Amino acid sequence: MNAAAAKKLLMDWRVALLIILIVLSAIAIFPHFDRNGKLATNLQYGLDLQNGAWIQLEFRSEVVGFSSTGSTVNDVATNLSQSLDTDVIAIDATHVEIRKFYNQSDLEPYFTAAGAKITSYQQGISKSTADEVKSILENKINTLGTKDAKVNTLTGLNGVTRYVRIEMAGVNMAQADEIVGKQGKFEIRIQTTGNQTEHVLWGDAITSVGTETKSATTGNVWSVPFTLSESGAEALRNAAIKYDLIKDPSSHHLIMLLDNVTIFDAPMAASAAANLATTPNRQWQATTGTGTAGQEAAQALKIHLHAGALPVDVDIAGSGTVTAEQGAQNMSASLYAGILALLTVGLVIFIRYREPGLVLPMVLTNASEMIILLGFIAAIGFQMDLPTIAGLIAVLGTGIDQLVIITDEILHEGKVPSPNLYLKRLARALAIIVAAAATVFIAMVPLMVMPLTTLQGFALITIMGVLVGVIITRPAYGRIIMTILSK
Amino acid sequence: MEPFKYNIEKYSTRQLMLVPLILLVVSLILLALNTVSTGMPVTPGIEYAGGYSYTVVTGQTDDQIRAVFKGFPLVSIKQDPAGKELQFGPMETATLNSLNSVVSQNYPNHLAVSSIDATFGKTNQSMAVLALIISFIGMSIVVFITFRTFIPSLAVVLSAFADMVMTAAVMNIVGIQLTLGTTAALLMLIGYSVDSDILLTTRVLKRQGKLPDKLAGAFHTGIIMTSTTFAAAAAMFIVSWVAGVEIMWEISAVLLIGLVADVLNTWLTNAAILRWYAVKRGVR
Repeated sequence: MNAAAAKKLLMDWRVALLIILIVLSAIAIFPHFDRNGKLATNLQYGLDLQNGAWIQLEFRSEVVGFSSTGSTVNDVATNLSQSLDTDVIAIDATHVEIRKFYNQSDLEPYFTAAGAKITSYQQGISKSTADEVKSILENKINTLGTKDAKVNTLTGLNGVTRYVRIEMAGVNMAQADEIVGKQGKFEIRIQTTGNQTEHVLWGDAITSVGTETKSATTGNVWSVPFTLSESGAEALRNAAIKYDLIKDPSSHHLIMLLDNVTIFDAPMAASAAANLATTPNRQWQATTGTGTAGQEAAQALKIHLHAGALPVDVDIAGSGTVTAEQGAQNMSASLYAGILALLTVGLVIFIRYREPGLVLPMVLTNASEMIILLGFIAAIGFQMDLPTIAGLIAVLGTGIDQLVIITDEILHEGKVPSPNLYLKRLARALAIIVAAAATVFIAMVPLMVMPLTTLQGFALITIMGVLVGVIITRPAYGRIIMTILSK
Repeated sequence: MEPFKYNIEKYSTRQLMLVPLILLVVSLILLALNTVSTGMPVTPGIEYAGGYSYTVVTGQTDDQIRAVFKGFPLVSIKQDPAGKELQFGPMETATLNSLNSVVSQNYPNHLAVSSIDATFGKTNQSMAVLALIISFIGMSIVVFITFRTFIPSLAVVLSAFADMVMTAAVMNIVGIQLTLGTTAALLMLIGYSVDSDILLTTRVLKRQGKLPDKLAGAFHTGIIMTSTTFAAAAAMFIVSWVAGVEIMWEISAVLLIGLVADVLNTWLTNAAILRWYAVKRGVR
């Protein structure tokens, strides 16, 4: 291959695109030495390559589609909300979210009474509720300082989210359960006389919870600000008046309970109590004390306040732990398996062709495919897990298959063809490849749209592998091999 | 280098199909038997069946461990890097509570590894089965669109079907459960196993030349394709087997089994049907 031919090759758009993508991928992966002098990259790893725990929660709620002549979605939602005595949210013109678990058959009479007919039923929550749950859970976990927590909602093709999966690095299953598994039943009660208390409000009256703060003006006391709904604020005021809190706050403590366990018990500040006599107040602060103890108590209280605010009941569908030993073992095995696979595949190709001029471009094309895929993974912040790595290694094996198809098709009957015949044969080879790639693509599509825990990501990466191969690396390889053969 | 010359001239269609057909029937019988005993063609793992697993650090033998958990649904005992992994089937809350106390009493150094609700497992299982079925149908449609002739397309789909069935049967024999990982592997097989069939069919139907030469040429290319994928899967299998990375060795084992089945089904079953079809249609 002379200089002019090499230049012509580099100018070919297929080859140029391949090179540009390799460079971009290298930037996205960003191999570098971290502060400890260890080789690090931008690649993110799933739980099974680290150490930590996962929990998958199932929503005790359903999204129901209906048809109705006459009633609007709001009419139906209001009607159901009253008859079922639960929150019913209108999602769009023909769907409502019912925040309590019922079977379809249980719901049918209620819909009939509301002048509607059920057309679809799916356990889960709508996208907007899913987003809300996700952010509540993220807040809750982040406040505990768990550094690497991922909250992923698992949504089906119909847009209904049935599960949320939480992965936390560095904790075990019991700790993870403690953090997210339980949805607490939060309640504020008021002390009436002696040990007697009365109910004031439930956790759903808390509309937002702020970050814990330390106030210098009150002697470095830690507190958690929170906001009540209008009805919640009204309920608190009514209770305060009814039980005389506004006149004598110190003998009528406010008590917060989570799952019937007292988590907070303190009198209302006298000034706040006095204000309450004239007007309801939605903004409150719960003070927890000074120093580290006060701070920790504030953090815990904040989480508890959130726990009460999760809008839907959940069940723990599953949970699991990956130990540090297993995670490290998985990581090194993945690395060695990848390297060994590349070497053995190269060896098989070498045994077959015995021609470095063919073997080298094939192996390098194959390796560049890996780099581009890893670059894509790094760029979208996808967490690689073991099935994905197995998928990548399989792509390594099948990717080179297709280079074999191209090579054999072109070298048909051992003769190097003229450029015209060459292009004809390349097109024929690409036709086989496209058909083969289409089958892989179609085989993975069902997984992409199913909320089957971690396999959605695996399917995405496998599909990407196919696309990168068919669109980018194979056509480029076709050009490269043409230049090499025509020397 | 040509260590093996592919030549099926001297065998009749019936002779070629005999071995794969017997294996297919035996596999189907095995899967049917397994369905009768476990409710699924391939025994489902904890992710689909539901259940609980623990890692315990102990010097006890497997038999001693089984004695400790007499009365509990202990499904399997495996060695993993952190200790022995004990897997239990689904159970009532009361049983689970007593299991937890038995684990705590006997193995102070233990860790709860996973707990999967049985209903959740069932939901996952039905999704996985649905995914496999839809994948297979989708693959068949692509094949039919590609060739637009009934018998050659059917031969490819039949060959892929036989790959799946044989792989599933061998999974049962060697004790590989259906898990999320092996589901992924089976889906990869659906996609990848038809590569060589498509190559074979294209070469035979759409190329000029003598039929035996085209078959031999297709084999020459096809077998190296299978070898490279086999090499990658074998590398993965060896490393993960040595390191004890269960998901990975299960995935690679399923791929290896499937590739062996694919060689059989492509170059015996599919090639035989295709040759018969080509001769009948006057392709020489």
